[in-house]
Amino acid sequence: MRIFFYIILFNLILINRSYSLIEVDITRGNLDPLPIAVSPLHVDIKSEGYKDIKIKELGDNISKIIERNFKSTGLFNPLKKDAFVQKPDIAHLKPRFEDWRLIKAQALVTGKLLIKNEKLKVEFRLWDLTASKEMTALAFTTTPSNWRRVAHIISDKIYERLTGEEGYFDTRIIFVAESGPKNQRVKKLAIMDQDGANVKYLTLGNELVLTPRFNPTNQMVTYMSYFRNMPRVYLLDIETGTQEVVGNFPGMTFAPRFSPDGKKIIMSFAKDGNSDIYTMNLETRVVERITDHSSIDTSPSFSPDGKYIAFNSDRSGLQQLYVMRSDGSNVKRITFGKGIYGTPVWSPRGDLIAFTKMHKGRFYIGVMRTDGSGERLLTENYYQEAPSWSPNGRVLVFYRETKAGEKGKGFSAKLWSIDITGYNERKLSTKTDASDPSWSSLLSK
Amino acid sequence: MNLGEKMTLKTNLKNLLLVIFATLILSACSTAKKSGDIDGDVYTGKETVEYLASGVPDRVFFATNKSSLTTASRATLRKQATFLRKNKNLNVTIEGHADERGTREYNLALGERRANAARDYLMTYGISGKRISVISYGKEKPVNPKSSPLSWSQNRRSVTVKVN
Amino acid sequence: MIKSLFYSITFHSIMILLTILSLPFMLREPIDLPPIVSVELIQISDKTNIPYAPKARKIIEETKKKEETRVVSEQAPPVAKAKEKPDRIPLPQEKKEEKKLVKKKQNPEEIKPEIRQSSEFEKKEIIDTNQIAALIDKAKEIQAVEKKKRDEITQSSKKNSFATGLTLSEEDALRAQIFGCWSIPLGLPYDENLLVRIKLQLKKDGTIMKSEIIDHERMNRPGQKFYKVLAESALRAVRLCQPLKVPPTGYDKWKDLQLNFNPVEMLKG
Repeated sequence: MRIFFYIILFNLILINRSYSLIEVDITRGNLDPLPIAVSPLHVDIKSEGYKDIKIKELGDNISKIIERNFKSTGLFNPLKKDAFVQKPDIAHLKPRFEDWRLIKAQALVTGKLLIKNEKLKVEFRLWDLTASKEMTALAFTTTPSNWRRVAHIISDKIYERLTGEEGYFDTRIIFVAESGPKNQRVKKLAIMDQDGANVKYLTLGNELVLTPRFNPTNQMVTYMSYFRNMPRVYLLDIETGTQEVVGNFPGMTFAPRFSPDGKKIIMSFAKDGNSDIYTMNLETRVVERITDHSSIDTSPSFSPDGKYIAFNSDRSGLQQLYVMRSDGSNVKRITFGKGIYGTPVWSPRGDLIAFTKMHKGRFYIGVMRTDGSGERLLTENYYQEAPSWSPNGRVLVFYRETKAGEKGKGFSAKLWSIDITGYNERKLSTKTDASDPSWSSLLSK
Repeated sequence: MNLGEKMTLKTNLKNLLLVIFATLILSACSTAKKSGDIDGDVYTGKETVEYLASGVPDRVFFATNKSSLTTASRATLRKQATFLRKNKNLNVTIEGHADERGTREYNLALGERRANAARDYLMTYGISGKRISVISYGKEKPVNPKSSPLSWSQNRRSVTVKVN
Repeated sequence: MIKSLFYSITFHSIMILLTILSLPFMLREPIDLPPIVSVELIQISDKTNIPYAPKARKIIEETKKKEETRVVSEQAPPVAKAKEKPDRIPLPQEKKEEKKLVKKKQNPEEIKPEIRQSSEFEKKEIIDTNQIAALIDKAKEIQAVEKKKRDEITQSSKKNSFATGLTLSEEDALRAQIFGCWSIPLGLPYDENLLVRIKLQLKKDGTIMKSEIIDHERMNRPGQKFYKVLAESALRAVRLCQPLKVPPTGYDKWKDLQLNFNPVEMLKG
């Protein structure tokens, strides 16, 4: 009897020995940014001039924008061009992979462009240098003056291909440009490309303007203005420049934001010392009251599915964050930690809420899950607030103010961005002081 | 003078010295606070104050994150009410303000709440609500731009401004 | 007699069944391979893989020491590097853990992260710091359990490899080499469990004849972009590393090799 059993056991061992595969777990690697070479785009010699565009430098300039975008992510390390070994046109046809590998690049971007009949045609290829193959290739046609956007769109496509995540380069940021002494600030609405280029001012600075926010679906903006000393929420079409007051409220309306479908504006309305949250449907003009509480309820922000609203209330005595259904029911407090909380903003992915936290005289930007758990503070400073999400939910932009000395000396307000990992904090360069940033959706969508 | 008396004299002297010392320290404190004039968290000084009429200060101050009126604020507002009763044709706007240590949107609401606290008090003293409009500037218009507890206390205010 | 015949038939049919199950052509998805090979079935390899022999243990320790120095030099500790960034505020949990450890542990040096990083091998051997933390902090316990759960997939395969062809030092050498070649795509979501398994066919010199992502189809499925990105980075790592550091002997055992790439630990920082 027993012998049978042993025979079976022995057989088992043999079988498994001959067919078992060695497995090795790789749980570590380097977290250095991916080395990537961005070859200048080859300019077709048949290209014609167009207005003031310097055609010869265009290929170089586009590649520089792509490089700068990559660098700003902290995920890629664009390599220096003087080490490049191949001419752009030849590399674009088929790179000598082993040569590019020599400079330790793992990916390569090549491309070429042509301006003809007032049309700019750009194509690019992304190469995997270790696999010696093309990863993606695309071509675009547009008016030549759009060349910067082409560079951003290429950056987005490459970013998406290499990270698996949508890019955020072909986007804009609307903000408040500030100038003048601290107690007599002049504030203007301003808009710029995500990389700081193409700054345009949308108001003249005659009246105080605050908290502009993009519509996630189109080129509309909502903001607050003190036009004629009546603090109200406005709607502005940045394409046509037309603007209108939102609703007919008998008092201050503020803290506006669009619903994710872009059809409603949610905001606070203050009356007799009490602020509550309202929505207005932009199509039907129907106004709905969402909260009815004797405390301050403000800074509302919809979840991306439109089903919930996060907001800021001091009904417990101090500013805390709350979440409720979009009809105002089922209000739940989500912050119980030390300190006070403001400006909740729901991430476009829906999984996180970004916020401002104040504790012991310091200000933090952080993220937490939508039930308030998993709080992570990303950055601490003397004063900072008002986070706004990049469209892919990976980066936050916010503004930071410095401490002012006697008569406001040394005061400045600047825009900053940080990864939701807490890494890669950087200042956005703006000519003037800046605050209240809001990140647009991808323009090319 | 016996020994016991001597002892008591000594302790008395000691106590006296202590009292003098304490007074000195206190006065030193109050001189240091002279530019400050903060009671708890509320500004009590006169540095930034303007006047609607002689003896009628135009503003009252608040504690951090609060909109309740202090005893001093109430006294000031009673003077304003008396002044407004005398000038029946005068309308006013009450501007509510907050300090820079809060988020912009919340501060707008807080400023509104402070201005309304002042307005409500004036109304209980017989001033018609129609004569008083309210506007909040949040933290947008600091009177003192410095980043210090003193200037923050000066900025947490509601100011009554004549409109006509 | 009838009884024993019955036994014989039963056992034989079981055996046949098991044989079929373990035949390679039946294995389309290796992850479903039933864990027949448990640690108890010790397979004796050429050199050092005998856990109960004291002599072998010494050899392991010696080679381990050698490995350690090499591993440290080759694998720059990226986590620590990342933490140098002053502006980053550690997660509240991290803070708590550190503080508690310093307070209550008598020689905290033993569990400093630098040492933790020095070698995978050592980490497995000595202590799981999370477990210690769990003893100290009840709240931490839940986390540790969670972590265990996460590791389970990889854990089981670790056991497997222990019982197969490579000695621990050989395995460590290979692992350390690939650590150095693998650029983990930084954009990956750190809260998702991503695991990429690559099957390799090697030549005797350690160069790659064939490489294959085991769950290849998943790469082109919609919504699996992260998986694709990770798979590509793993392939790049393997190619960059050629020739792989394989033992000079026993080609038959390692000519087919499976690498499991799991970045979760690293991305969590």
